[in-house]
Amino acid sequence: MNRRTFIKASLVTGAAFTIPGIGNPFINSFYAAEKVDLAVAVGPLPESITRSAVDALGGMKKFISRGDVVVVKPNIGWDRRAEYAATTNPEVVATVVRLCYEAGAKRVKVFDRPCTDPRRSYKQSGIADAAEEAGAVVSFLDERKFRDVKLSGIALKSWPLYTEIFEADKIINIPIAKDHGLSTLTLGMKNWMGVMGGWRGRIHQRIDESLVDLSLAIRPTLIILDAVRILTANGPQGGDLSDVKKLDTVIVGTDQVAVDAYGATLFGLSGKDLGFVVEGAKAGLGQMDLTKLNIERIKIS
Amino acid sequence: MIRKTRIAVQGIFLLIFLWLFLQTESKGLDTLGWPVKIFLDADPLIFLSTALSGRQWPETFWLALLVMAATIFLGRVFCGWICPLGTLHNLVSAVTRQRSKRPSVNLYRWKYYLLIFLLVASLFSLQITGVFDPISLLIRSFSLAVYPAFSYATRATFGMFYEADIPVLTQGTEFIYALLKKLVLPFQQPLYHQGFFVGVLFILVLGLNLVEKRFWCKYLCPLGALLGLCSRYALLKRTVSEGCNECGECASVCQGCARPDEKEKFRIGECFVCMDCDDVCPQNAVRFGFGFKKSAAGLDLGRRRVIGSVLAGIFAAPLFKITPIAKVGASNPKQIRPPGALEERLFLQRCVKCGECMKVCLTGGLQPALFEAGLEGIWSPVLVPRIGYCEYNCTLCGQVCPTGAIKKLSLKEKRDIKIGLAMIDKSRCLPYAHGVPCIVCEEVCPTSKKAIWYEDVKVVNREGNALILKQPHIDLDLCIGCGICEAKCPVIGRPAVTVTSVGESRSKDHQLLLPQTSNIRVKKSFFRRLFDVFLTSSSNDNP
Repeated sequence: MNRRTFIKASLVTGAAFTIPGIGNPFINSFYAAEKVDLAVAVGPLPESITRSAVDALGGMKKFISRGDVVVVKPNIGWDRRAEYAATTNPEVVATVVRLCYEAGAKRVKVFDRPCTDPRRSYKQSGIADAAEEAGAVVSFLDERKFRDVKLSGIALKSWPLYTEIFEADKIINIPIAKDHGLSTLTLGMKNWMGVMGGWRGRIHQRIDESLVDLSLAIRPTLIILDAVRILTANGPQGGDLSDVKKLDTVIVGTDQVAVDAYGATLFGLSGKDLGFVVEGAKAGLGQMDLTKLNIERIKIS
Repeated sequence: MIRKTRIAVQGIFLLIFLWLFLQTESKGLDTLGWPVKIFLDADPLIFLSTALSGRQWPETFWLALLVMAATIFLGRVFCGWICPLGTLHNLVSAVTRQRSKRPSVNLYRWKYYLLIFLLVASLFSLQITGVFDPISLLIRSFSLAVYPAFSYATRATFGMFYEADIPVLTQGTEFIYALLKKLVLPFQQPLYHQGFFVGVLFILVLGLNLVEKRFWCKYLCPLGALLGLCSRYALLKRTVSEGCNECGECASVCQGCARPDEKEKFRIGECFVCMDCDDVCPQNAVRFGFGFKKSAAGLDLGRRRVIGSVLAGIFAAPLFKITPIAKVGASNPKQIRPPGALEERLFLQRCVKCGECMKVCLTGGLQPALFEAGLEGIWSPVLVPRIGYCEYNCTLCGQVCPTGAIKKLSLKEKRDIKIGLAMIDKSRCLPYAHGVPCIVCEEVCPTSKKAIWYEDVKVVNREGNALILKQPHIDLDLCIGCGICEAKCPVIGRPAVTVTSVGESRSKDHQLLLPQTSNIRVKKSFFRRLFDVFLTSSSNDNP
């Protein structure tokens, strides 16, 4: 990537920096000299690839301010153990929680609304224990805390969403990359289904538009896509180790569309194959053209 | 002194009971980690009656025998010192004002007739003992009514403060609420069909204490009757010395129907060994001590009445069983039994309707039957997927079943057991009938080659535009009938995919497909399922 394309790319993705509270403007301008849009780290240790990918984007301090209440939203959708790649890697979750605290966060909350029994999903995925050990407040969703939120989107006019998401100072989305029957893949944008109340299965009728509507309403500070293991078939729930592929990869970015577009490449697809990525780009949510992004690849042995 | 000790012991056992009741709930692990069914295991009536009706010898029989042995040596200490229902009766009696001393009604024989009736019926394979057994009754009432009502009331109260959002006060109530949630509240609000019915019955049983304290224990409890028979020759005896001036104080405190004031006519089988008569005696003439001398009055039930009870038991069995539900194909299609449930006939012979499985069910889908399974199957567990599906990786119902009516399964065995089959109603399914994408059922299908698959079908909508829809199909061989598809189907009311009991592994008659010889894996699992169900259910049930 030469300087010209880089400048162009940073103009396009500069939208990400308009999110309020992204950090010290001095640090921002300091890093702007070599701004990275996506960091892709590969290596055998989930913790070290997560750390170096976040560092490549400028470090957690750039995103989390002292005293922030941070929601870290993994995918705890199913009652499956981590090796089945149906839920976010617990080590990645724990590392992100630690990074937040290291950056000065006051409190880090971890929750999701699983499709299967929450108790089993939290426990068996290993996420509850790992996150708690890292100091996070892990809680089951409290049905009283859903409030109808006006979305005024294409598909969703309003929907009950979990208020803690909106009460937090910062949100970090940590999805896992998986196969999905209806939406082809489930990546970052689809992970917002975990803060939806009500009969959320109904959004399947217009899944792509719905996901964009949600992603426009919930703006994460950071998206950390877990691809330590990916689920290539029988998703999103899996259950067969032969469908799991170990990629030892973590992708970090601030652009929801860009992260998902990159996620598609892990499955030999491109952003164009994913309806929600296409719709997201159309709605101005982010950049789906990977060639216009400054992607830093890191390999750690 | 003895009285205080006894009350303390009763309190401890009640707390143990309540603690174990609270622990009959998943924490997300594969097992519960507590012997939650130990009170049922130790219940000699459950043991004896399922031994008769199910022709089985449970693994934990020694606990029940221990209680019987203790009764033979010490008398009905179980009733006076241990039984949690008895303790609740004491509590209710204590808080209500007792009416003036009344001569106790001589109805104490009722419970013996009930016992004879239940045991004879059990012998003829009719299992309804659990309806009357105090431990079963207590757990069922707590699971289906008391605890759900408690949870509802607590949530509603704290919810009110939460909604009002009063500064400081709401913070305080939220703190207490969080604490309660951690300690005593269920994970989610339990909701049961018949919660009201079971609750009212329980209130009536407790309310009988207003008529007379421990009315249930004295006159109705069949376990009390069984222990009464065991205690006839108890070595712990009550003796009254010459100092007795027949003041009658002991009669006024007697919790049972033992006639402590009539020395020679003392009914040892009706004595709960509470020893209140010893405490209260102004002459200090009453003493409990070990001895061999027979000192008690015999139990005269009356030959005619005993024969009547036996005959009632004999006739009850066929009367309960002459229902067309037992006919192949005539059973209620929605009668989906939990995974590991024995074949229906054997299942009914063992299920004591204690409600443990319904209490522990992760999704709350296990509901008490009313008459769907015949009168015999009242309060037996039926899965209602629309209320809650069967969680793929959960084996808890089999773990808490005290009688093996639901087999204890390994996770691997459980995943292979079909409790029914799902089928799609194309006239309601969105992609079939209405040209709208959906496929939620496929997403949630838990088997690891999904039992629900879809076909990309080109359809034309009203505007004449072609669109491609994913239309779901069910692989009857892979479907285990867990019902998550029905539970999550967005077609509310009458879902477009529903599970019925056809194809359930436990029934040879309910099979649907012939084994497919072309597929070796299928053939193997089909036979394994058959063997699982029929071989292991006819022998004693230790997996």
